[in-house]
Amino acid sequence: MKRRILLPLLLCLALGACNITGGFVSSLESAVLNNRDIATVEQGSPAYLLLVDALASDSDDPELLSAAANLHNAYAGVFVTDMHRQQLMTGKALAFAERGVCEEDDDYCGLRSQPFEMFTAIVREMDDDELDSFYALATAWAGWISAHRSDWNAIAEMGRVEAILQHIIRINPDYKKGDPYLYLGVLATLLPEAMGGRPEQGKQHFEKAIALSNGKNLMAKVTYAKQYARLKFDRELHDQLLTDVLQADVAYPQFTLINTFAQQQAKQLMESADDYF
Amino acid sequence: MTISNTLLRAALLVSALIGSGTLFAQTLKIASLAPDGSSWMTEFRAAGDTIAKRTDKRVQLKFYPGGVMGDDQAVLRKIKIGQLHGGALTAGSLTEFHPNLQLYSLPLVFRNLDEVDAARKVFDPRFQKGLDEGGMVSFGFAEGGFAYIMSTQSLTTIDDVRKRKVWIPSGDQFAADLVSSFNISPTPLPLSDVLVSLQSGLIDTVATSPIGALALQWHNQVKYVTDLPLVYVFASFVIDKKAFNKINEADQKIVREELTKMFARLDKQNRQDNLSAMEALKKQGLKLVTPEPAAIQEWYNTAEKANQKLVNGGKLSNEAYQQLLSIVRAKR
Repeated sequence: MKRRILLPLLLCLALGACNITGGFVSSLESAVLNNRDIATVEQGSPAYLLLVDALASDSDDPELLSAAANLHNAYAGVFVTDMHRQQLMTGKALAFAERGVCEEDDDYCGLRSQPFEMFTAIVREMDDDELDSFYALATAWAGWISAHRSDWNAIAEMGRVEAILQHIIRINPDYKKGDPYLYLGVLATLLPEAMGGRPEQGKQHFEKAIALSNGKNLMAKVTYAKQYARLKFDRELHDQLLTDVLQADVAYPQFTLINTFAQQQAKQLMESADDYF
Repeated sequence: MTISNTLLRAALLVSALIGSGTLFAQTLKIASLAPDGSSWMTEFRAAGDTIAKRTDKRVQLKFYPGGVMGDDQAVLRKIKIGQLHGGALTAGSLTEFHPNLQLYSLPLVFRNLDEVDAARKVFDPRFQKGLDEGGMVSFGFAEGGFAYIMSTQSLTTIDDVRKRKVWIPSGDQFAADLVSSFNISPTPLPLSDVLVSLQSGLIDTVATSPIGALALQWHNQVKYVTDLPLVYVFASFVIDKKAFNKINEADQKIVREELTKMFARLDKQNRQDNLSAMEALKKQGLKLVTPEPAAIQEWYNTAEKANQKLVNGGKLSNEAYQQLLSIVRAKR
């Protein structure tokens, strides 16, 4: 299967006859995200990821680089359980995303190594038409931190992800049907209040993510149950959110794959609820 | 049915019950602030599984992670009324069961981790015994690390700190006493308000461990770490003695073995984490500032006077304090 896909591509690259742009990779990203057959996506994606790698390796197209970052990050988040592979894949996603913002504007190059104060000042320069690249950076970065969570150097960078997300919702509060709020909700509920966490702020973020997607972002509900309802020991809310997810239709543009995955997670959380509560 | 048949059936039933390991089963309810999925909770659950397996489920541990049972004081109240049986609690909250626990947390009593290790070798077993006499079975202590002063400004003298807006946790009498012994006027705030207060400038100086600074992202709002180990923070895994004594002796031994082994691992892991976290802080651009010798001496002299005053107040054993001092001085 891989050979069937890669050979024509290699041939076309070698002959310089390719006219594959960010548009193609964005379409591929949409095809993956709109698919409800998790098994097909899991088995079929690796060859395409290699293809995207090849296309993005020396590209200067922010759209292609962001889509490449999103694909690697989504695959690592949904399908990869081995920590080493997660680290490799999210590392690649983050590198693509960093290049993506750098191609938007030279000021954004090397953003990650800037001191925090300078970093936030640069992030505030973000324009409306650069949101996709910055959102790809924030989500790839969050995936990378999660895959490196035992490394304090990675934990140290969480505030930078939050700064980008906060600025995105400041520019466009409805961006991606409220998906940034899901990430902000997770960041606010990583710790209980007694340890300095902000669960009530997290709750507001989750509810916003649900409202802006008209309740169609099922991962927002699952994460609300897992991060907030469990943290607050609120079984009624936990079970209600997960029951909603299990009864919902997964189809929703750009969310179908994640929604299907959310249903799998909802089932597992319901099964472990008696042990937890 | 003959009498002998009935007796035989009864004997079989009893042996079946004993064999199934469910007779006199006890579930110990344990609370922790550690979030579910954290390395602490993963270790707790693994130890709980091993205990259940080794005792044929006669002893099971049910965990309430992520502070769902409230802070340490709330957990202790619930232990007293039997709603909970134990928890992983900061040593500060356990001083009502054994006041001498506070000896490790006296300001600047230790100058480095070698001194901590020397003291802990002698005092850990005594503290465990003290807690036991106070009604809490302790399975050892885990290091939270040294809290350091971190600020937006470079602070080396006590006077430098007095000029800053210094945070202490709301309702924390120990912290209030600590800063007042240095004549520092603090700004008490809940832990969850600290990040936003650092951002707004309401406060500009905190004291926390390297792990704490990174986990709470305070490191992005401060620039300097004063290289003085201000206070040693530690925790204990405890179970209410009344609940523990309901377990048979053989199973008690298993619970002790497993929980002690597990907490010792966390103790080691936390030390490593704090060392790595300090390196990460430096990599993030925070500057470690070392006070001049005269300023260091002023810090130590002021702390020692305050510590002696506290001991003279009668809550802590002067004999134990003097012994602690002689142990740490022998390492200098």
